[in-house]
Amino acid sequence: MEVAGVRLVIDHVTASSPSWSLTANGVFSLGVHLISGDVGSGKSTLALMMAGLRAPECGTVTREGISRMMLSFQFPEFHVTGLSIEEECRSWNLDPEEVIRSVNIGVTGVTPVLSLSRGELKRLHLTCILARNYDLLLLDEPFSSLDCAEKEKICQKMSLRSSGITVIFTHEQNVFPHVDHIWEIVDGRLTDCGDMPGAIERWQHAPPLVKKLVSTGRTPRELTPEGIREAACRTHE
Amino acid sequence: MQDPRIRLICAFLLSLAAFVSITGAILVFIWWLVFTPRSHSIRYRSAFCAALVMFVIISVVMSLTGSDGISYLVRMAAILIIGSWVYSESCTGDFLSLGTWLLGKRTGFETGMIAGMAMQMADSLSDDFTRIRIATRMKGQPWSIRSIVPAGRIIVHDAIRRADETAEILAMRGYRNGGTICPRFYTSVSDVVAGLFAAIILILAYLPVSEFFILNR
Repeated sequence: MEVAGVRLVIDHVTASSPSWSLTANGVFSLGVHLISGDVGSGKSTLALMMAGLRAPECGTVTREGISRMMLSFQFPEFHVTGLSIEEECRSWNLDPEEVIRSVNIGVTGVTPVLSLSRGELKRLHLTCILARNYDLLLLDEPFSSLDCAEKEKICQKMSLRSSGITVIFTHEQNVFPHVDHIWEIVDGRLTDCGDMPGAIERWQHAPPLVKKLVSTGRTPRELTPEGIREAACRTHE
Repeated sequence: MQDPRIRLICAFLLSLAAFVSITGAILVFIWWLVFTPRSHSIRYRSAFCAALVMFVIISVVMSLTGSDGISYLVRMAAILIIGSWVYSESCTGDFLSLGTWLLGKRTGFETGMIAGMAMQMADSLSDDFTRIRIATRMKGQPWSIRSIVPAGRIIVHDAIRRADETAEILAMRGYRNGGTICPRFYTSVSDVVAGLFAAIILILAYLPVSEFFILNR
C-alpha cells in the first residue's frame, strides 16, 4: 500500500478569524504527525485547509500523490449518514458485524446510530475510519469524548496504520499513539518541532509528565503509554 | 439600529404591515432600503436565497391553483428581509436585556435567556450544515436534495442534545428561575425616526389606498 512520493506541502499559508490568526509552512511526509495547540488556535481551520476544503487567505497547499483522503471532524455526528449502525457501517463499505465486534459497545446492527452516546459514536466512527486506507488521514481532536481506556485502544489502532500520512490535531495531554513527527501552534504560527524523539525536547505543549522526564534527562523515545513508562522507569541513559 | 427595544417594535410593526397588504409589503421594502445597511443586513445569503426560492415555489403553486401567488411572494419576501435584518443586528445579550426590560426578572429574564441561547445555536447551524455536507462528500456519497433529510435529522438531534447539556449545566450551577440584570439601552435619533416610520407604514398598510389618493374614474 505504500505510495512513493506522497506528501503534503504547506507553503506560507495564512488564515485568520476575529480572535486568532495562523501562519503555516511545512512539508508532511509519510508517517504519523502530531499537531498540538491550545483550544481556539486554528487547528480545525488548518485541517480544513490541508484537506482542500477551505481556501487559505495566502499561500498554497499541495497534495502530492494523494488520491484517497479523509478528514475526521471532532464531532462524529457530522459523519453519520445511516439510520442504523448496520447502515452506517455499510456507508463506509465495511462489514457491520466486524465493526460492532471491534467497537465492543453491546449493540446490534438495528440499533439507531443517534441513540449512541457521543463517546460510543466516536468509537464507532474512528473504528470505521481506521479500518480503511487513506493516503492522507486528518484527525481533528480524535480523543475528545473518550475515556483513557478507549483512548489507548484507539491509539493502538492508529499505531497500526503503516501507510500514508496521518495528521492528528489535538490538545490531548495524556494518551498518544506512536508519533513520528511533532508540530505545534505557538503564537499563531505552526512550528516544526522535528522528528521523534528529539522533537520532544523542543515541544512547548508537551504534557507536564513528559516535560518532567525531559528535565531529568529521561527523554521518552516514544509518546505511547509504553514509551512514557519506559522513560519513567529508566535508571540510566 | 442600536436600541433592541425599537428594533423589536419595528420588526413587529413591519411584519404585520407586510402581512396585511401588498401596499404594506412594498412600503416595508422601502423602509428596509432607507433604514438598514441593505444587502449587508443579510448575514447568511445562501439561507436567505433558499427561503426565497421556497416562497417562489409556493407562490407558483398558488398561482397555478388560482390563488394570488404574487401577493403572497411579495408579502413573504418583505417579512423575510425584516427577519434577516433583525437577525444580523442582534448582539450577544440583546435578548436577555430586552426580555428583562419587558417582562421582569423572572419570566423576562428566562424568556430572554432562552431566546439568546436559541440565537447562539442558530449561529452554529450554518457551520454544522457545512461540515455535514463535507463529511458526506468525503465518504464518497453524492450531496443532493435527498441528503437534506439525514442532515436535518443530525442537526435537530444535536440541537436537542446541546439543549439538554445546557439545562444540566445551568441546574448544576444552581439556576432555578429568573435572575437580575440591569439593562442599558442606547437610543439614537435615527432609531426613533425608523420606529416612527414603521408605525406609519402599519397605519398605511391597514388603510385602503383610495382613502389617500383621488383616483380618476
